[in-house]
Amino acid sequence: MRRIIIASAAILIAFTTILNAQTVIELKQPESNKVIIKIMFRAGSAFDGKGSEGITFTTAHLMEEGGTTGMTSSQIKDKIYPWAASYFVTVDKEVTVFTFEVPTVFLNDFYPIMKGLILAPSFSLEDFERIKANQQNYVDQVIRSSSDEEYSKKALEHFLFQGGSYQHPVQGKSKTVKDFTLENVKACYKENFCKENMTIGIAGNYTPEFLSQLKKDMRTLQPDVEPKAFTLVKGAAPKGIQVEVIAKENALGSAIFAGFPMALTRKSDDFAALMVANSFLGEHRKSYSLLYRKIREQRSMNYGDYTYIEWYDNGGSNMLPRPGFPRTQNYFSIWLRPVQTAKGLKGQYPELSGIKVGHAHFALRMAIRELDKMIKDGMSEQDFELTRTFLRSYIKLYTQTPEKQLGFLLDSKFYGRKDYIKEMDVLLAKLSVADVNAAIRKYWQTQDMYVSIITDISEVEELGKSLEQNLPSPMSYSNSLKEVLGKEILAEDEQVSKYPLNIKFVTMFNTKDTFR
Amino acid sequence: MKRITSTLLLCWIAIQLNAGTDGILPYTIYQKQLSNGVNVVTVPFGSPGIAAFYIVMRVGSRDEVEPGKTGFAHFFEHMMFRGTDNISKEKYNEILKSIGASANANTSLDRTVYHMTGDALKMEKMFEIEADRFMNLKYSMQDFKAEAGAVKGEYTKNSASPYEQLDEKTNDVAFVQHTYKHTTMGFFKDVVDMPNQYDYSLSFFKRFYRPENATIVVVGDVKREVIEAWAAKYFGVWKGGAVKAAIPTEPEQKETKFAHVEMANFPPYLGLNFKGPAFDDKKMDMPALDVLSSILFSEKSDLYNQLIVKEQKAYSLTGGADNSRDPNLFSIGVSLKDAKDMQATKDVIIAALEKAKTTPVDSKVLADVKSHLKYSFAMHIDSPDAIAEGLASYIWVTGDPESLNRYYALYDKVSEQDIMMVAKKYFIATGLTISTISEGKDGGVK
Repeated sequence: MRRIIIASAAILIAFTTILNAQTVIELKQPESNKVIIKIMFRAGSAFDGKGSEGITFTTAHLMEEGGTTGMTSSQIKDKIYPWAASYFVTVDKEVTVFTFEVPTVFLNDFYPIMKGLILAPSFSLEDFERIKANQQNYVDQVIRSSSDEEYSKKALEHFLFQGGSYQHPVQGKSKTVKDFTLENVKACYKENFCKENMTIGIAGNYTPEFLSQLKKDMRTLQPDVEPKAFTLVKGAAPKGIQVEVIAKENALGSAIFAGFPMALTRKSDDFAALMVANSFLGEHRKSYSLLYRKIREQRSMNYGDYTYIEWYDNGGSNMLPRPGFPRTQNYFSIWLRPVQTAKGLKGQYPELSGIKVGHAHFALRMAIRELDKMIKDGMSEQDFELTRTFLRSYIKLYTQTPEKQLGFLLDSKFYGRKDYIKEMDVLLAKLSVADVNAAIRKYWQTQDMYVSIITDISEVEELGKSLEQNLPSPMSYSNSLKEVLGKEILAEDEQVSKYPLNIKFVTMFNTKDTFR
Repeated sequence: MKRITSTLLLCWIAIQLNAGTDGILPYTIYQKQLSNGVNVVTVPFGSPGIAAFYIVMRVGSRDEVEPGKTGFAHFFEHMMFRGTDNISKEKYNEILKSIGASANANTSLDRTVYHMTGDALKMEKMFEIEADRFMNLKYSMQDFKAEAGAVKGEYTKNSASPYEQLDEKTNDVAFVQHTYKHTTMGFFKDVVDMPNQYDYSLSFFKRFYRPENATIVVVGDVKREVIEAWAAKYFGVWKGGAVKAAIPTEPEQKETKFAHVEMANFPPYLGLNFKGPAFDDKKMDMPALDVLSSILFSEKSDLYNQLIVKEQKAYSLTGGADNSRDPNLFSIGVSLKDAKDMQATKDVIIAALEKAKTTPVDSKVLADVKSHLKYSFAMHIDSPDAIAEGLASYIWVTGDPESLNRYYALYDKVSEQDIMMVAKKYFIATGLTISTISEGKDGGVK
């Protein structure tokens, strides 16, 4: 049993989750040629502890990429290669999930290795140094210089959960990772990876005898360890709109993420109602959502604009959501893909040589204004019906493969549900437009939020000033585009350029100072 | 970026797995060519209620032969979502939404793929709206110029990655004449100029969006006869007239070339890019290179053990080639901890390549790779999308989905001699472009 408490600075809002250590989720598929096993631990970066940010990530990856007490990592790779058996681990704020996939014909050969990785990792110094160096490289360099979009998303979480357990990236921070020792990892393993906080998932073609053995063996994982009662501290609530502008050298665009904490997860039946609203406003990578049409399709400002009511892993690469990231603390977010900077626009169009700020301020205004309008006006019956029809079909695509099916079933368990996909479909079927509009008013607002913007160093000062002083942000089109845009778009632009944002303060700093 | 891990590279490789078909895919591939040239490929698959609908157009950045027009095939993919006289873009979006499908498109060197996966019962509607836009696309100047900004936005978001920057430079340096010189995104100056190319876009549509270049692939809970009837009904009236682009032949490279991105605060990177073969499902070159890349660069390879596990000089090691219609690059990539190790790392890799030219690979290692290929394939064909994507990747290089079966059959035949043959043929200094990322003015690698 693990007690998980959600706390804010003053009040402890508590609930207790009781996990049965032998919870097993089965998805039997006798016609399949493979077996998928998922071992989910209620352990993630939120439980790292101060000064140890990133240790769960290190531990999980050392389990995954290291050896066992019987075999080195190289020996394992050699052994399983002809079978094409594979495994990976995902670490998030509250859970860590190991996924193993193997052809049925090799299940019995593979199983001792799988068992060893979970029950008897070798934790060799050589493997530890390799894993740690990779992680250090990520937090020191890669996080800041690979994708400005992922960077702005992580920066938003760091801002949004400040002072809370979710604040740091799951990979940790530069100075914490640097000090990790092998002993820290062993201690983390002992405290966080035990039978008491484990859920087993299995799918595919396996025998009852195999499952019995798996259950029996997993019960031996540190049977005497009682997971600590962790206190999940909430981040400080935003007061007004708080913006951070992070300067990078040679950034071609301004990458924007905005969001605010939201007391809603898949556990609540309200989630279905807000799914409809969110899908209409900003369904992930869909051309028919409102923000996409307004910002990308009509105004040519960027590659896409979306909204989220829960964590969406690696949205730049994934068209459909991945399982393995369930959370108790949630937030609403707006993702505006990089828009042009003043420096870029001036270089491309002589007629824009006089501008001081690129498109970031305007884009942010437009997104929040559309959110505002949805809160005030709600969805129409027609939009509601169409969006609901879409979602009832679309969510079935989340689970096209056995691995995804099993993953979503494990996540369902986390939220106290049996089958999230099926249950959401039932809830969607029962919804009315009034339910959706009530959910919008209950969970969405525009006055208090955090905004993170990664942009070119040349943009920072003027953009920061423009935001801080709520200056008008007229849209700066090239002449070529402006001459063909409809009057209604230009008229709306005029309104957007003056739309007041409740910005209370703006901070500006250099990329070198993030995630240290 | 052509930095494929061996695992990914090989995930689609297979051998014969199942009775009921002569090929290696355990499902029958039904083909029917319409009189106008559209090829219709149907693979019934047990995915209750779900089907994938793909249209593979054999047009990509390879066809961008005119100066100043790089990136246009990709731009055109965007324009395909801008409506027709029959179905406006708003109506198209509304229909797509009502279908509840996951729909999108993507472009690469040799092709553009349009796909939607969703409710199999709504398949006829998918045929109807797709046939309409492929035959009747019509967009305003406003839509054209607005979409050009979205493409610039895509370039902008990609450019944050130093690997993307290096990829653009490497191709530019490695190729002199052939259109693989530019990436599918195109050169930035051409992307910025796209709003001014409205007339060119109309001619692009007329030349390339023709039935001769199109293959429809449907996989899932469907019946072959029904699919073929819908294909004839909706796509049968599409008029032919495709024009082939005159793709320049790349002259033989005579010396080692260099491409470099200067970047501080980023892990140093070394790329060794050799001129490789075009895809061919009858020759041993590409399958032998695939097997060799698995032996040399996978996580069980000696190089991986040395550079990453033992010496811990590198973060990652990758190597392999993409299947492409014309000869393209075989790329090896190493992310290093210290730029000082670049030369030594290059020397170690070259030594491994030299050894491969003269020393037969261990027979057990070869057998293990073939086994890996077989089971990787079997493990991955578990959804309509996975099968459709697998078939599409062979259709765009040869036009024929059966290439998948033919190509996989070659893997079983790869011998020690084939591997030495391709090592000698392709891993030569005069075919090499060395690409680097480091904080120095150049990579400093000879």
